[in-house]
Amino acid sequence: MLNYILSRIASACIVIFGVVLIVFMLIHMVPGDPVEVMLGESATAIDREALRHSLGLDQPLWQQFYQFLQGLSHFDLGHSLHSKQAISELIAARIGPTVELALASLLVAFLIAFPLGILAALKKDRLGDAAAMSFSLLGVSIPNFLMGPLLILLFSVLLGWFPVSGKSGLDSLVLPALTLGTALAAVLSRMIRASLLEVLNEDYIRTAKAKGLSRVRIIGLHALRNAMLPVITLIGLQIGALLAGAVITEIVFSWPGLGQLTIESIQKRDYPVVQACILLISTTYVVVNTLTDIVYGLLDPRIRLG
Amino acid sequence: MIKRILWYTFSIFIFSCIVSCSEDQADNVLSGKSQKANDAIRFGLVSAPVTLDPLYATDATSSRINRLIYQRLVEFGPDNKPIPGIATWQQLDKQHYRFSLFSLPSMEVSPFHHGKILTAYDVKATYNAVLDKTTASPHRNALKHIERIQVIDEHTIDFHLTRSDPLFPAFLAIGIMPEDLLKMGHPFNQKPIGSGQFKFSHWPFDGQLFLRRQTDQQLFEFLKVKNPTLRVLKLLRGELDLIQNNLPPEHISFLKKESDIQFLTQSGSNYSYLGFNLQDDVTGQVQLRKAIAYALDRDKIIQYALGNAAKKANGFFPSQHWAGARLIAYDYDQIRAVALMSELGYSEKKRLKLTYKTSSDPFRIRIATIIQSQLKDIFIDMDIRSYDWGTFYGDIKKGKFQLYSLTWVGIKTPDVFRNVFHSESLPPSGANRGRLKNHKIDQMIERAEQEQDLTKQAGLYQLLQEELHQILPYVSLWYEDNIAFFRQNIQGYQVSHDGNYDGLSKVNRLSKALEP
Repeated sequence: MLNYILSRIASACIVIFGVVLIVFMLIHMVPGDPVEVMLGESATAIDREALRHSLGLDQPLWQQFYQFLQGLSHFDLGHSLHSKQAISELIAARIGPTVELALASLLVAFLIAFPLGILAALKKDRLGDAAAMSFSLLGVSIPNFLMGPLLILLFSVLLGWFPVSGKSGLDSLVLPALTLGTALAAVLSRMIRASLLEVLNEDYIRTAKAKGLSRVRIIGLHALRNAMLPVITLIGLQIGALLAGAVITEIVFSWPGLGQLTIESIQKRDYPVVQACILLISTTYVVVNTLTDIVYGLLDPRIRLG
Repeated sequence: MIKRILWYTFSIFIFSCIVSCSEDQADNVLSGKSQKANDAIRFGLVSAPVTLDPLYATDATSSRINRLIYQRLVEFGPDNKPIPGIATWQQLDKQHYRFSLFSLPSMEVSPFHHGKILTAYDVKATYNAVLDKTTASPHRNALKHIERIQVIDEHTIDFHLTRSDPLFPAFLAIGIMPEDLLKMGHPFNQKPIGSGQFKFSHWPFDGQLFLRRQTDQQLFEFLKVKNPTLRVLKLLRGELDLIQNNLPPEHISFLKKESDIQFLTQSGSNYSYLGFNLQDDVTGQVQLRKAIAYALDRDKIIQYALGNAAKKANGFFPSQHWAGARLIAYDYDQIRAVALMSELGYSEKKRLKLTYKTSSDPFRIRIATIIQSQLKDIFIDMDIRSYDWGTFYGDIKKGKFQLYSLTWVGIKTPDVFRNVFHSESLPPSGANRGRLKNHKIDQMIERAEQEQDLTKQAGLYQLLQEELHQILPYVSLWYEDNIAFFRQNIQGYQVSHDGNYDGLSKVNRLSKALEP
């Protein structure tokens, strides 16, 4: 098991380094010069060179990348080119709302997906199944940029229950969490249904039934536990996506999360912030997926042995 | 197992919520924010300020917020002529200006928010910081003719220039920062300390800023809500108290009908134009540019696409500007436009293809499609290409375009003509984006710059604008009005002609009992 975990961690490190390198190269290849954006057009060539020098942008790319890595080794992500603020402070201010939104969305997704998926599997090819899967289809089909405004229209404008956008209190978390959570629930419930249907046809379930175990016990203890393996993989991937900042939802609801910071920094060509955000996002993805792999291995010995 | 996962997830969620709420409360207690954020007057912004350090602020939002926090030597009157801010001035000789800080009890300069009195030493420290090459301030170029700054006494400061410049006082509109904190390298970008009517309170994240009005300790919240629909909805629901500008016409007409909402408009001076690449074989032809000018029905665009919230522009400055010229408009005349195109050899069978570049802003794309539709009638098929701001701006400066549209924001002084139309100002050395190389224009700019008398200088700049109006390096579009919407319980707000937020110094919210 230790070898399995170490190999997963090693490959995770390689992936993170690759992502950082590619992002660094890409962001420097994109048209648009941060110095031009910052100084405007009335600046002289001397001013531009002075600023380029003070920001370290006059150095060769490999040297800039080396310095970035060197900073990383001291947990120093550098400073924003525009606001001059420490990037760690910028990210710290955004990571909290992102985590809050991710966890709340996950909670919403669980609360919807599990009952729905189980209901659909137990009532296969009947009205309950059709209703649950129709809801699921709807959730998958409606993009967040449409779902968000629809929820705002209903719950903020018509009913006046929740704020339109922004982060003010717990009530402001409801609509963005619902937007993200329903989309995730739609995918999850389909996966739970499919996985559960497969397990329900297994011999050990028939044995459990023959032993006279209660329906709740069979589903809860035997079927659901075994049906969770593919579901956990999906949840892992989705947690990564949620923590990486659900960009569209954050923009629709003016939610001050990591996704918005990344987009704004790309628009402003704030290279160090973009790099730091992508690094954080890719690390989150990789860590969550590595953890998922490890949990998967713990749950299913065939995987770590294979 | 599942139960455990669910339980842990739920616990972490509850924990993070409690921590984040308690963090907010702790922050508030620590910073002495006794007034509840709910009591704040909330102002909706389309973009967040980038920096609150006047040395670096160039974007409109930062500049407008900084105006509230810092005081300036010079302000601008309704005709955009420089007027005293916190100081009067006299020109002792062509290259020597003396500024005297107000010291009368009735017009005293406010002290800095950390208690120190604002003196000439602070003015000197601020402008020295701008001029310091290592600071890399974007404002350095405008002040590069300052040879030295000399403090005469606590209230008097002299500026010695390397060459005469009658427009010089207009460039001294940078917020004054305290000398002691500048020396200490205080982070003004994050914790600004000025002497303006508003004191920095806190800035939880870049989209939410709190300032406190000095006179009555009223708290103001500046909240970024980029999406115009959300901004309008938040205003209607009382989550915002005021919003200003950057609304599509349908939102403007909708809000004007709302009984809970008041509005104020003021003619603006931000100049929108259509720019051409003058080095391109096709758009370099003046006849083509004139044909396009005649083919655009700006009245209809203003009526339908801008909700009548703009005025037609004929030149860089509105006619009420002290250097503005009264020019004869290129009014919509399709027959004339078609005739000009025919002279160039274009017809229904031989149509011209042009590429128009714009940003990814939906409003700009909408304007582009209207222009595309209007130019169809004069045998021009326009290909619209929209890019993110960095790419679009980069292409424009590199001259990789045929046509584009942009807006000049906050231009006050006619020195802009050198930056935009002089042949020495080709990017990256200036903003002559269309690559105009015209000896006559260069000479006219230089002659105007050398004139010492402002009235005569205005006359020369008017002649220059007439000449530019003939060769059309830009087709003038409009000056967008400034329009503010606010809730019924908000009183005293005034909209300025340049869209600044100075009106917040007098705004008040009526208590519920007094609401109309």
